[in-house]
Amino acid sequence: MDQAVLVIGAGIAGIQTSIDLAQMGFQVYLVERTPSIGGRMAQLDKTFPTNDCAICILAPKMIECARHENVHLLTYSEILSTEGQIGNFHVRVRKKPRYVDIERCTGCSECVEKCPRRVPDEFNVELSRRRAIYLPFPQAVPRVMTIDADYCLYLTDLEKDRCRLCEDVCQAGAIDWEQQEEILELNVGAIIVATGFDPYDVSKLGEYGFNSIPNVITSLQYERLISASGPTSGELKRQSDGEHPHTIAFIQCVGSRDVNYNPFCSSVCCMFATKEAILANEHNPELKSYIFYTDLRAGGKRFQEYITRAREDYQVTYIRGRPGTIGEDPDTGNPIVRYEDTITRLVQEMEVDLVVLCQALVPRHGSETLAEGLGVRMDEHGFVVIPERLSKPVDTSVPGIFACGYCQSPQDIPDSVTQASGVAARVAELLLRV
Amino acid sequence: MSEIRVGVFVCHCGTNIGGVVDIPTVVEYTRMLPNVAHAEDNLYSCSEEGLSSLKQSIHEHHLNRVIVASCTPRTHEPLFKDACEEAGLNRYLFEFVNIREHCSWIHSRVGEEATEKAKRLIRMGVAKACLLEPQEEAESRVIPAVLVIGGGVAGMTAALNLARQGFQVHLVEKEAQLGGRLLRINRLCPTDEKAFDLIGPIVQEVEEHEQIILHLSATVSEASGYVGNFQITVAADDGERLFDVGTIVVATGADVLQPVGMYGYGQFPNVLTQLELEDRLKTEPPVIEGAVLINCAGSRIPERPYCSRVCCMTSLKNATQLKKLNPDAHIYVLHRDLLTYGVEFERYYRKAMKDGVRFLRYDLEHPPQVVGDGRVESVVVWDALRGRELHLPVDLVVLTTPLVPNSDYETISRLFKVPLGESGFFLEAHVKLRPVEFATDGVYVCGTARWPANVSESISQAYAASSKASIPMRAGMVTAEAITAFSDPVLCTGCGTCVITCPYNAIELQTLEDGRRVAQVNMVQCKGCGSCVAACPNGAMQQRGFTDQQILRMLEVCASG
Amino acid sequence: MDDQIFHPRIIAFCCNWCSYAGADLAGVSRLQIPPDFHVIRVMCSARVAPEWVIKALSNGIDGVMVLGCHIGDCHYIDGNHRTAKRFALLRGMLDYVGINSDRLLVDWISASEGSKFQRLVTEFVERVRELGPVDDKPNVR
Repeated sequence: MDQAVLVIGAGIAGIQTSIDLAQMGFQVYLVERTPSIGGRMAQLDKTFPTNDCAICILAPKMIECARHENVHLLTYSEILSTEGQIGNFHVRVRKKPRYVDIERCTGCSECVEKCPRRVPDEFNVELSRRRAIYLPFPQAVPRVMTIDADYCLYLTDLEKDRCRLCEDVCQAGAIDWEQQEEILELNVGAIIVATGFDPYDVSKLGEYGFNSIPNVITSLQYERLISASGPTSGELKRQSDGEHPHTIAFIQCVGSRDVNYNPFCSSVCCMFATKEAILANEHNPELKSYIFYTDLRAGGKRFQEYITRAREDYQVTYIRGRPGTIGEDPDTGNPIVRYEDTITRLVQEMEVDLVVLCQALVPRHGSETLAEGLGVRMDEHGFVVIPERLSKPVDTSVPGIFACGYCQSPQDIPDSVTQASGVAARVAELLLRV
Repeated sequence: MSEIRVGVFVCHCGTNIGGVVDIPTVVEYTRMLPNVAHAEDNLYSCSEEGLSSLKQSIHEHHLNRVIVASCTPRTHEPLFKDACEEAGLNRYLFEFVNIREHCSWIHSRVGEEATEKAKRLIRMGVAKACLLEPQEEAESRVIPAVLVIGGGVAGMTAALNLARQGFQVHLVEKEAQLGGRLLRINRLCPTDEKAFDLIGPIVQEVEEHEQIILHLSATVSEASGYVGNFQITVAADDGERLFDVGTIVVATGADVLQPVGMYGYGQFPNVLTQLELEDRLKTEPPVIEGAVLINCAGSRIPERPYCSRVCCMTSLKNATQLKKLNPDAHIYVLHRDLLTYGVEFERYYRKAMKDGVRFLRYDLEHPPQVVGDGRVESVVVWDALRGRELHLPVDLVVLTTPLVPNSDYETISRLFKVPLGESGFFLEAHVKLRPVEFATDGVYVCGTARWPANVSESISQAYAASSKASIPMRAGMVTAEAITAFSDPVLCTGCGTCVITCPYNAIELQTLEDGRRVAQVNMVQCKGCGSCVAACPNGAMQQRGFTDQQILRMLEVCASG
Repeated sequence: MDDQIFHPRIIAFCCNWCSYAGADLAGVSRLQIPPDFHVIRVMCSARVAPEWVIKALSNGIDGVMVLGCHIGDCHYIDGNHRTAKRFALLRGMLDYVGINSDRLLVDWISASEGSKFQRLVTEFVERVRELGPVDDKPNVR
């Protein structure tokens, strides 16, 4: 009988570990809470330091993963309970009802156009709206629709029978109102946690004006704005008036390296702020960016050179100082950044067209519950504890349960991918000797 | 040659295509095309019904070429190819025509033109399909043995993991003992555990593992072959050793920069590198009154722009050690940005500050100056954040220097045809998504040979490299999609242009019986880009599935109708 | 269809990994594009032989586009570098043999640039339309 493993989370780390394990001969159950695999990387426009288009390098991996005969995708699903030990875990998984028959749905999207219900689009960090029946993003895998039962006019009020337009237009007959949740019982030899991160809620830092000043946005929102497949088709426009910004301030460590919020460093923000500033200048060579930092962290391959290029070729200025507050010019809507430049030791004010808050990245919400269910130790921030950090960098506190990617420590894509493959090797040496 | 009988399956895709393109007209038109033996339309070609109809029609109409005109091949091509195979037709006799993303969806307001274009695209597809040949995927055996070069923590981790998985491992180490750089390290951060406590047990396990064949005081002198089948020659004390392996892991580590001429190094006896301090801390821990550790000594400068990633933590760790040895000592870390990323490193930094280690920021315009006669007595530093000059009395100055490529890299690069990047470290296949693989199949890299990495990261990378190496070895076989290039030995003049063009080193010049040298493509290494084909000056090189003849015929058809 | 307006016959070579996917995205986004172009898929833009372009433009194809990945993003590492070099050379040759080199366009499109694909094709179709049919020009041999 083939050995089976469970992977929880289908971002780039979960996808990579699934591919490796499947290619080794394991049966892989890949459980993903959202309707599609892909994770955070699908939301990025480009990735540092090469400025590769994120979805262009991710989509082939998504397809490779989904197509592998040893990978069993369980999207729109969550873990209910786990018992057992290494070699023999018994896991119960709940497949949430999509109300769409995935065998019949061909992903043609005709239903989406007809659906009258518009709701905030979480993929676009609520900068735009999607429909109640939807495909989370154009390259979603599996390419099937999902009906959001919280918003669907029919499902939220069955008796009134207000709308079943999707069913009417679907020529494949894929709408299935009777669809129930399914509980699956899986026996696996090992479990891999790859649940990734959420952006920290920066509205907690009232002094930065997020949610009160329209032209103060988060970096993830910025990624969606600048993305060719985002809500503005890649045009960098201010939300307040649709104008193109000529100056942007990037504020680092928002909610990071701060004992009041998160004391840790999110590791990737210095680099992605640089990337975002470079992309802004590529869109508009006149555009100037100012990155307000504390320590510039560029220890990866070609990272330092990337920063130098930003300074020399892309009109990016680095100012050492953490701004105290951000105000607003009421006439123009321009944010005003108040800071101390720690090198010149002068207190300054800078008016810019747009402020991007490089927010802390924290372990996904729900990961504490998951960890509890698995019996795996978490630290006070919600990261999966790796008890032997040096000699066993992907082993959790429970034998047979491993963790890779951001859920266990702040890291970028190459490091996550490395840990993901690393987990596969750990599982193989324990469970699948040749 | 038997008659070409093409079957064309035109998909409505609900109303996505059918609502714009006049499918019945298209099908009628298609039936009239030369070599088309059968044409039909389906509501959804990719559905169970569509696929069954496809397979059935192949049998009924004795079809030997199949075209599906529907959406994008990037999603469903493998599905249809599988269906053809199930119906007994070689999967390379299938051609996809995109009349949705590239037609109905983008010309939805001009149905007539969209219909004409769909007809033309299908006609082009039929023309190509008539020229398709059945193909067999090239297979190559993979020997279940691996060569690991380097016996440091990365190399040993990879070796042990692969040995435990059940593969035979040849571990080659140039020194007389295993352990690498960690043998000289005192303690490791952020746990402050002794380096020997980590590396000692690993060395022992490697020495005792029956699957691992050790070659100490040895280096790889010759290598040939390709993924699955490499022939290796190792030069050891007792002569040459020859063996064959399926995969190779490069884990040759890195050197530490000697800061000759910097900050009085070599001139004053109390200026050490961090590595030399590690030696001292292990043997004769210094108890000092004052120490200054200067970070970024020789890195993040124009001659060497990169950040060496591991040094800030090394410096913090040693600063903390010195403070432990004498809690009253004045310990300063001079830095130009502190790389204490993540959770544990940031926590360690805070603790170091609480323990009394002082951090001062300097910049390249005002580098620290060492002052002394015979010994360094003080360090003068411009405190950038407070805007004043400080004179720090010291017993010891420690220079935090970067990791640099070691001299073995050039040899390895040449032997295995793997590239070095701008900074001199090995260059992986793709810096984001393939960080431990080389573009050359079957060869992998991990540890500081790839880029400065700490122990935890080196071990992760070693596991990752093992994972990648184990995959072809477990499969026992590598196969390549049959869209590879091939050279006609009659036309080939042996100019070698293709050899240089290939990014994967998949082409070699070989000597025929008649003495002529001609190009030979390794079908397993070839990735099917076709660059060599366009480079070939006399048409000797072609690409299966994308021959000149096929493309030119499509161009003819497009122009004429 | 207005018979007075010249509808050029255009070929767009698209590489499997980037530009073909970019064209797909234009489709998925329902961006409307003039129907005068026909995509031929290749694995890499480096497969596109300059001879194909000459043959095409000499035999009734009014315009040719060669679309690859952005420099640095090539799936086959450096294929698009070669494409860039080859076609820089070809441009000169086209003018030399009397074919207006404006009938050749070489550009880079990533898989997420559906709008760029729309814009490039629409502009190119217009440009070739203004140049007229490739056969008409008396100095084309």
